[in-house]
Amino acid sequence: MTILNETLQEEELKIQTPSISRKDEYESVGKSVLRKDSVPKVTGKAIYTGDLHMPGMLFGKVLLSTQAHALIKSIDVSAAAAVPGVKAVLTSRDIPGENAFGIAIPDQQVLAETKVRYIGEPVAIVAAEDIFAAEQAISQIQVEYEPLPAVFSPFDALKPGAPAVHAKGNILYHTKVRKGNIERGFDEAAIIVENIYRTSGQDHAPIEPEAGFAWIDAEGVLNVFSGTQYAFRDRRQIAIALNLPMNRVRVANMTMGGGFGRKDDVTAEILVALLAWKTGRPVRLVYSRHEAMMSQTHRHPTYTRVRTGANKEGKLTAMEGVIYGDTGAYASLGLFVIKKMALHLGGPYYYPNYKSDSFSVYTNNPIFGAFRGFGVLQAAVSHEGQIDELAEKLGMDPIEFRLRNCLRPGLSFSTGQLMTNACGIATTLERLQDYLVENGLSIELHPEVSA
Amino acid sequence: MDENNLIKMELTVNGEAVSMIVKGGRRLLDFLRDDLHLTGTKEGCGEGECGSCTVHLDGQSVLACLTPMERAIGCSVLTIEGVGSPTNLHPVQAALLDEGGVQCGMCTPGMVMSALDLLERNPDPTIEEIIEGISGNLCRCTGYKKIIYGIQQAAQELQAASPAGTVKESVE
Ligand code: FES
Ligand code: FES
Repeated sequence: MTILNETLQEEELKIQTPSISRKDEYESVGKSVLRKDSVPKVTGKAIYTGDLHMPGMLFGKVLLSTQAHALIKSIDVSAAAAVPGVKAVLTSRDIPGENAFGIAIPDQQVLAETKVRYIGEPVAIVAAEDIFAAEQAISQIQVEYEPLPAVFSPFDALKPGAPAVHAKGNILYHTKVRKGNIERGFDEAAIIVENIYRTSGQDHAPIEPEAGFAWIDAEGVLNVFSGTQYAFRDRRQIAIALNLPMNRVRVANMTMGGGFGRKDDVTAEILVALLAWKTGRPVRLVYSRHEAMMSQTHRHPTYTRVRTGANKEGKLTAMEGVIYGDTGAYASLGLFVIKKMALHLGGPYYYPNYKSDSFSVYTNNPIFGAFRGFGVLQAAVSHEGQIDELAEKLGMDPIEFRLRNCLRPGLSFSTGQLMTNACGIATTLERLQDYLVENGLSIELHPEVSA
Repeated sequence: MDENNLIKMELTVNGEAVSMIVKGGRRLLDFLRDDLHLTGTKEGCGEGECGSCTVHLDGQSVLACLTPMERAIGCSVLTIEGVGSPTNLHPVQAALLDEGGVQCGMCTPGMVMSALDLLERNPDPTIEEIIEGISGNLCRCTGYKKIIYGIQQAAQELQAASPAGTVKESVE
């Protein structure tokens, strides 16, 4: 625990602030520039992964788990393999390399081996001459499950004796943030408000569902095309699963029809690569909207209890909070999202004393990962609720209260990081004040808040 | 492929006559994308929710994911590929670019088709009418505002370009 200087002297601040050279005229800053890819897009010429086509191309399809938590007793693919036009039916046994991947930690199975952990987990894949044969084959795969007790909220997952989603336990990560002296901070408070906030899960729903296209070129290099946010990381994970040296795998980024964080993870890439590698044919695998919603990552649902204190002068003295983030069946980026939430739980305000704990917890829900805002949005729901309620109780204008407490250069964030130049909250609030005055508006609190 | 299920698709697509023997029983969307390789028409949901598959069938906008391909036999289909080219953009396309209404672009072809349909029926729409006109098209990137302004700008340009009187007359 480090206690930092709470205010910096002018001189020190200058040293910490990188100098930015300013010009009157920039090539693109402050100008409306045409996106390079927008003409192809507006004319329908831009090529997305699902638009790719090659002679001899096969159609891929994924069988998703129908169980939230179950042991796989057996998988019978014989009927599926016998469907006319089917070229490959693959299960975990057919993976040449490691059946493990994951953007942060490799806790995810490419194809479920002995156990499924959420409804929508890939269990088997098929490649066929047309999509109808692929669909028919999928419907013919017989999976025998032995259902296990499942957990669907972080609270259930943390109960003593709760079913273990992963052998190592249901806590993926515990983040602790400590600053100042929290007891003293609350002693100094004239008013303390405490609330519980819940935020729900959310699908990114990029208009383009996840897709992948793979083929082996004349030199034997496995080419994987997809709308991905991180081609190099995908490449690394494909190579490991297929047991190929990295220079045998090439990942090309196609036009991406919206990602919003979700396509940071591997989506269809390893599965389509396996199908192409096994069949020697080009393969296209496009998720349906339904499959994408079941199988891909989402925004974390969170549960937060937060206590915030302020003194009579309207200055925040302390904030204390505990966060439970449901990260679903696998880690994805759930470690970092919920960690970030602990750092940002106080929002853009200055607290001399700050304490937060966040727990990223495994459950048998779908996977929750990166989504625009990355945990900061969930935090905003609670810090803005707290600030409004404190302002109300202190009888202060909510903007004035925020201005009195917002971070400014020289003040420190929850982690102790000193704010230097990128700290625009005060200016933003002042503009808002001017806007309200210019337009003859005033802030009306929600009746429930002002009651 | 089931031989008994082959059908003859005879129709006009983007002004050109098409005659093909293909597997029947599929969606107009599959015929356009898989058989004709006109992949500008997108599939965002496959169940009539997102509008990214919007095309015109005999001048009416339809969702190609909900339209059986056989329904298009003998008809005239217009897709995004028949609207404008990179060197000769339709005013709706140019205005969408101008207003910054194109981001990932996945919804864009469907938006353009819905906007064209709207402007044909109502050349001088209010903002509310534009919102109504594209209410069947989802966009996850732009927040809609810039698309709406783009369509408004295109309407003004098209109106200014057409001789007085003719625009209103074309609306029944
Ligand atoms: S794909 Fe047709 S409405 Fe979404
Ligand atoms: S631009 Fe991405 S969905 Fe509209």
